[in-house]
Amino acid sequence: MRTNRRRSGFIALCVAPATILFFIFMILPTINVFRMSLFQRGAYSPTETFVGMGNFTALMKDTNFIRSMQNTILLVVVVTIITFALALIFANILTREKLVGQNFFRVVFYIPNILSVVVISGIFSAIYKPENGMLNSIIGLFRDMTNPILWKGESLVMVSLIIAMVWQAIGYYMVMYMASMAAVPNSLYESSALDGAGRWTQFFQITLPLIWTNIRTTLTFFIISTINMAFLFVKAMTSGGPNGASEVALSYMYGQKDAGLYGYSMAIGVVIFLFSFLLSALVNKVTKREPLEF
Amino acid sequence: MMKKGLALVLAVVMTLALVACGGNNSTNNAGNGSNAGNTGDTGSDAGETTTIKVAALESAYEEAYPGMWQEVCDAFTAQTGIQVELTLERNLEDVIGASMQGGDYPDVIHLATGREAGLTEQFIKDKNIADITDVLSMTVPGEDVTVADKLAGGFTDTALTNPYGDGKTYLAPMFYSPCGLFYNAGLFEEKGWDVPTTWDEMWELGDKAAAEGISLFTYPTTGYFDAFLYALMYTVGGPEFFNEATTYAEGVWDTPEAQQCFDIINKLASYTNPITPAQANDQDFTMNQQLVLDNKALFMPNGTWIVGEMAEAPRAEGFQWGMTALPAATEGGDRYSYTWFEQAWIPAGAQNIDAAKQFLAFLYSDTACEIFAKGGAIQPVLGVADMLEGDNVMFYSIYDNGAKAAMGNFAAYTAVPGLGTVREVFLDPVNSLVEGTLTEEEWIANVKAASDQMRANLVG
Repeated sequence: MRTNRRRSGFIALCVAPATILFFIFMILPTINVFRMSLFQRGAYSPTETFVGMGNFTALMKDTNFIRSMQNTILLVVVVTIITFALALIFANILTREKLVGQNFFRVVFYIPNILSVVVISGIFSAIYKPENGMLNSIIGLFRDMTNPILWKGESLVMVSLIIAMVWQAIGYYMVMYMASMAAVPNSLYESSALDGAGRWTQFFQITLPLIWTNIRTTLTFFIISTINMAFLFVKAMTSGGPNGASEVALSYMYGQKDAGLYGYSMAIGVVIFLFSFLLSALVNKVTKREPLEF
Repeated sequence: MMKKGLALVLAVVMTLALVACGGNNSTNNAGNGSNAGNTGDTGSDAGETTTIKVAALESAYEEAYPGMWQEVCDAFTAQTGIQVELTLERNLEDVIGASMQGGDYPDVIHLATGREAGLTEQFIKDKNIADITDVLSMTVPGEDVTVADKLAGGFTDTALTNPYGDGKTYLAPMFYSPCGLFYNAGLFEEKGWDVPTTWDEMWELGDKAAAEGISLFTYPTTGYFDAFLYALMYTVGGPEFFNEATTYAEGVWDTPEAQQCFDIINKLASYTNPITPAQANDQDFTMNQQLVLDNKALFMPNGTWIVGEMAEAPRAEGFQWGMTALPAATEGGDRYSYTWFEQAWIPAGAQNIDAAKQFLAFLYSDTACEIFAKGGAIQPVLGVADMLEGDNVMFYSIYDNGAKAAMGNFAAYTAVPGLGTVREVFLDPVNSLVEGTLTEEEWIANVKAASDQMRANLVG
């Protein structure tokens, strides 16, 4: 009994530093975000005025915010679907097929993940350059380039962002899927092959169901990381331009802070928080399956 | 047991270390400033225990002459005995922003308006800046003239220095630079073209250049249109129209002058190099500037810092910087060049306001001006022309060659959710005009709607 008490006391002491830090640097600020979203104030103003839900009703009428939210949703949906599909396919090929230079491809796919977003943005800015950029030079072999394609122009800027974000994310998810695919016993594939199952059937009937738990986890990652990464890419590649066409929710929130609307930007923060939270919960609910054992 | 004890000790040490890290280790020996004299002619008795904190933006000037700010601070200490703790950063907002949110303010901040983070604007809107009107009548430390005697005319009558229109000065004018249209003088000579003096000549030249595959115009980012728009408003309607427009007077955007401004910018958009908007962001703007160096565009709005900024860039053969004021609206009309200047100011929450005021006064001393001039930073004081070198001689002589100085800016208004900044409302749409996704009418309608809201929320 006495040792038990001492034991839990000791555990509490060990956990205390992390818990205290987590509380001070995570919980408190989050609560503060919610509190400040109800006030009208600048980042440096000494005073603040309580406006209740005023910031939120203003948000609903703010067309720029709605556009930035639309862009965010577009990115979350499109980047997730493309990355998810490509990562699965590549992971399957690299684990199931016998390829020359398998390790080489694994490294190549993973490299973008090691690079910082600023570097990636630099690379893609060079690729997207209207004059003698890589992309336009290649396309220029096939068509007349007197009117170069403006990859960072208003109409294509979101497409350009999607390409860069997918390129950056594939390697990470591919490695995650490969790890769980490697755990699927080979005997299942062998016996199914004897039963006449082709590669596609194997993929959909064996691989996918058996790595389902892993896929569910990554879907949540997709939502959270796309929202965060979109901010970094926009900041480093387009600064929200041209004329706000590539503004996403987080970059808009950041910009509003600079415009002197700290409370308002916190309200945007609350909306993004709830949005990502609910979306993750929804995706989790929808993809719930009885876990398969093997 | 032994192991547990060790782990316990380690846990305690870790906690203590964290607590220690959180402690305030900034040794702040700043006095309360009450002993700093106001006359500024001597400081040996005043400054022994006073330390002021100066935060300055590390800009292209500092790059051109590294150590410029430190040298000025040292000269100030030598003159007055007041110690200076200098913070010099490129991303000054990020460095001092957090501690200011915690209520710890530098005593002097040198950071102009118009930056993306808009820190100075936020302080103006919050009325969080100390009144420095009395600095103008202070004697410059080490000299026997007052600040007002040294300052060039007009600089302390603008909305940039007196943001509330109450005759009181809150921001000290610093480093000024004439803005205008920059071009390759070598190319004009080679082709035998004249630099246009009216907008009609401008369009003619645009057609001539287009025939040779050169666009008339480009811009680094839409942010560079501020100086352009201000000068344009002056050329079109003179100071009267400018003042009405920048205070969002009722119906001002329905006047023929305003219509002319919109028309010129819209027409200019059609003469703009089409790839400009795709590069008009904070990362790629030098590529737009490169268009002028490569003879792919004739003119761009810019400031004198461009020479240093593009010093290393490759350029067309025979390239030579040229700068002109904005063309006149009509034959024989006035031409204007916007005078862009930076600001230094004292946060209302600063600890040593009196000593900080002395520092501001010292920034206009001959000693400081000469040090600044080495980096190409020109203080708005009389007789500064003697300190100019190189391309700057030509640039700063623009006002001697017939162009009038345009000064001022849009009046500050309280930020309103969804309204947007001046740049977002007036300037950013130029990108869309060039790309053709926005019509002139839509742009004007948006400006009018926003302007009504700005008027309703004016600060002051």
